[in-house]
Amino acid sequence: MTATDERQHPVATRQTNADPILSIKSLETHFFTREGIVRAVDGVSFDLGRGETLCIVGESGCGKSVTALSVLGLIPPDAGRIVGGSIMFEGRELTTLGEAEMRRIRGNQISMIFQEPMTSLNPVYTVGQQIAETVQIHQKLGRSAAWERAVEMLALVRIADPRRRASEYPHQLSGGMRQRVMIAIALACNPQVLIADEPTTALDVTIQAQILNLMLELKDRLGTSIILITHDLGVVAEIAERVIVMYAGRTAEQASVADLLLRPQHPYTRGLIGSIPRRRAQSQAKTIRGRLQEIEGLVPSLREPIPGCAFAPRCGLAGERCTLERPPLEARTKGHLAACWETMHGARRT
Amino acid sequence: MAAYILRRLAATIPVMIVVALFVFFLLHLTPGDPAAVIAGDEASPAEIEGVRKKLGLDRPIWEQFGLYVWNLMHGDLGTSIFSNLPVLTLVKQRLEPSLVLAIATITVAVALAIPMGVIAASRARSAVDRVVMGFSVLGFAVPVFLVGYLLIYVFAIKLRWLPVQGYQPLSGGIGGTLRSIALPAIALGMTYMALIARITRASMLEVLSEDYIRTARAKGVARSSILLRHALKNAAVPIVTVIGIGFALLISGVVITETVFNIPGLGRLTVDAILKRDYPIIQGLIILFAGVKVLVNLLIDISYTFFDPRIRQ
Amino acid sequence: MVSTADALAAATTAQPTPELWAWTKRHKTIVAGLLILFALAAIAIGAPWLAGDPLQFEPTNRLKTPSGTFWFGTDQFGRDVYSRVIHGTRISLVVGLCVAALATATGLAIGVVCGYYKRADAIIMRVMDGMMAIPAILLAIALITLMKASLFIVIVAITVPEIPRVVRLVRSVVLAVRARPFIDAAIASGTRNGRIMVRHILPNTVAPLVVQATYVCASAILTEAGLSFLGAGTPPEIPSWGNVISLGRTFFQIAPWIIFFPGIFLAVTVLAINLVGDGLRDMLDPRIARRM
Repeated sequence: MTATDERQHPVATRQTNADPILSIKSLETHFFTREGIVRAVDGVSFDLGRGETLCIVGESGCGKSVTALSVLGLIPPDAGRIVGGSIMFEGRELTTLGEAEMRRIRGNQISMIFQEPMTSLNPVYTVGQQIAETVQIHQKLGRSAAWERAVEMLALVRIADPRRRASEYPHQLSGGMRQRVMIAIALACNPQVLIADEPTTALDVTIQAQILNLMLELKDRLGTSIILITHDLGVVAEIAERVIVMYAGRTAEQASVADLLLRPQHPYTRGLIGSIPRRRAQSQAKTIRGRLQEIEGLVPSLREPIPGCAFAPRCGLAGERCTLERPPLEARTKGHLAACWETMHGARRT
Repeated sequence: MAAYILRRLAATIPVMIVVALFVFFLLHLTPGDPAAVIAGDEASPAEIEGVRKKLGLDRPIWEQFGLYVWNLMHGDLGTSIFSNLPVLTLVKQRLEPSLVLAIATITVAVALAIPMGVIAASRARSAVDRVVMGFSVLGFAVPVFLVGYLLIYVFAIKLRWLPVQGYQPLSGGIGGTLRSIALPAIALGMTYMALIARITRASMLEVLSEDYIRTARAKGVARSSILLRHALKNAAVPIVTVIGIGFALLISGVVITETVFNIPGLGRLTVDAILKRDYPIIQGLIILFAGVKVLVNLLIDISYTFFDPRIRQ
Repeated sequence: MVSTADALAAATTAQPTPELWAWTKRHKTIVAGLLILFALAAIAIGAPWLAGDPLQFEPTNRLKTPSGTFWFGTDQFGRDVYSRVIHGTRISLVVGLCVAALATATGLAIGVVCGYYKRADAIIMRVMDGMMAIPAILLAIALITLMKASLFIVIVAITVPEIPRVVRLVRSVVLAVRARPFIDAAIASGTRNGRIMVRHILPNTVAPLVVQATYVCASAILTEAGLSFLGAGTPPEIPSWGNVISLGRTFFQIAPWIIFFPGIFLAVTVLAINLVGDGLRDMLDPRIARRM
């Protein structure tokens, strides 16, 4: 019943954007392990508007990264695959696109930055070569023109002395610089969509802010849409326009950032907000509970199909219906959707 | 980088000193009278004395050692007891077949084994992978002489495609040489190929699971380019290391292969020396082969700098 | 190793238990290798009953092709190749086991000293580097040439070149274990060196040494055959596989069976030992297992 429930509410998932650049509907990505099927993404739907910054939040293992990899068709074929749903990008269905065509999109129209700047660059090639490679592949530039473009990109991501740095190897650069290089690679072909999977998690706090600011600035300059995957609500509060909260491979809630932080509808979102420590700099500080409130219990095993709400076993509000029937993702106010029986209209509000 | 090469070069000196010491003291530390053993069971006391004189075993040990070191420094590897020829002269006479065989074997083995390993890794757990892995397990178990005789039986005796035994020198034209060493090179290369294919596969599999391979895929790099450009260069260090380790196996294999195929190379020189108990030749060959091995390892250490920029610093 | 022992113990009971079956399925290579080795061990032990006298000359039966009477044919002296190959199993297994045991024990002793005493380490490791530079077969040949040939000398001569690799392995394990905090804790709490070695360091060397020992065993059997083949190994009157093959050289074109049968036994033996070794390595080091 999982996906069909959501398909009954396609209107509800539509956002204010009339013409989304990327539209994901009821996406299901499964991994096939010796112990059984892992439903890593179990019916996720969202739209990404042009020039929008969308954050996907959730605990580790909730399917954020797998969703991102699914968009680019990067799920290792021997491990798993997209089993249902659709990913529309610029009017093209990505889930059925051939490998060669998918390759033309990757790094060109949709780019991705990963969490681990220390290991995401190839240690045996210079950073200039690695930026130039993308340009050579997608824009058919010659070697020297691609190299010039690489130097230009390094300057764009604010690396001092870019001409010299271009001929250095990754191990000669700091973590922050490597992530800048990753951004340079990702943006070298002016993609329409940039997916950043926890791009700052592995970095120092001061560097984190620099990298986020750089991404936002480049987004404004180049008009790129951004999907930022994070587990840090602080980051969300700072840069997101709209937020998707994911839990156990499903969308729990989606709303504008202010709506989500001020009027969370899903008990899981409330738990997450309760679990960030107060930060003075945050504008929403007043509404966020001060103490660190861990949500009790663990993320459920994704090996078994979950008939009801995936959060029910950890939820203080869960009633009988929650464990039996999957809650649909429904609009609470305009552009604010949540999948929860208990906080639905007519149900008791907390 | 220069500092790295110098350091590597310097590290070879103590190794060669140890080899030289080892070879010298082997003769003196083994129990029993070396002169009597070398002269053989049926030797008369006079013959034993003759051997003793020839090897200088009658002189004080420090004098022997001094002379040995002095000679080594001057490139003198000793003199054969039986032919009275310098070991170096004998080596020069026998060098060509062994060198040609070794080069042919390494070329063929590397050229076949690396693609095998890469393909197996890129299609892990597929039928191709299983065949390659099966070959590498088998190639490691089947002794050189069995492969050699099987090849002779099938390709020389039954099919009559290639000569049974012997070696055609390069002076008689490269075609004849290649025909004469084709079977020996395959027999000798089997273990070597198994070793390289196996490590290539393992190393490639490890590299292919690295984050930067995912980055390359996310950049839209084609599959072949990911394998050959992004992965293989990163997988290279263990592969060339094993090529070096396998070189030692190759030396042992050369001795046996040359016996199977009746090739008059350094391996045959070794075997003849064993049969005649011509110890100085064995001694000289040990130093020579050890030197070659150390040199190959040095070249491999230097090749690391080409593959991995982190070693250059 | 515990699970191997368990499995073996379980195998001797009448009914295979579900656990044993599951274990067998997971470690197919070890089981396959062990089965072959058990068969070979049975052949080695039962050789006098399985085959006739390997040394008996029958000049009338020279170079007979394999047949009902002479399963593997006869050699140029009319000796039964089948009987010689069956008896040769003893030599190969004895050489393999002895060399593996000797090389492991010596290597372990030297390696522990190296890992523990810095000054000895510097000298010993230089010597080991030098020994490793000498091709194994040449080192063995040199040793054998200098001593009176006997099976014991052959075993010693094959053992010597195997030692450095064991030393390196043990040394690296000892150094790795010594760097772990619980050793500091033991030293700080006044535990004696000998006790630390026996209680904490030696147990950690067991798994890698067992794997290494299987490879040493396989390599020793191949080396013995190679040396005998070259005429520098086991005394010719002993029917080792290498000696049988060596004698078959001259008549290879008319009597290839003299070489093929011992050759195939040799290959199967080495294959079985390698299968066990690979299986053990995969079992003991799951990180590599996933790759191989």
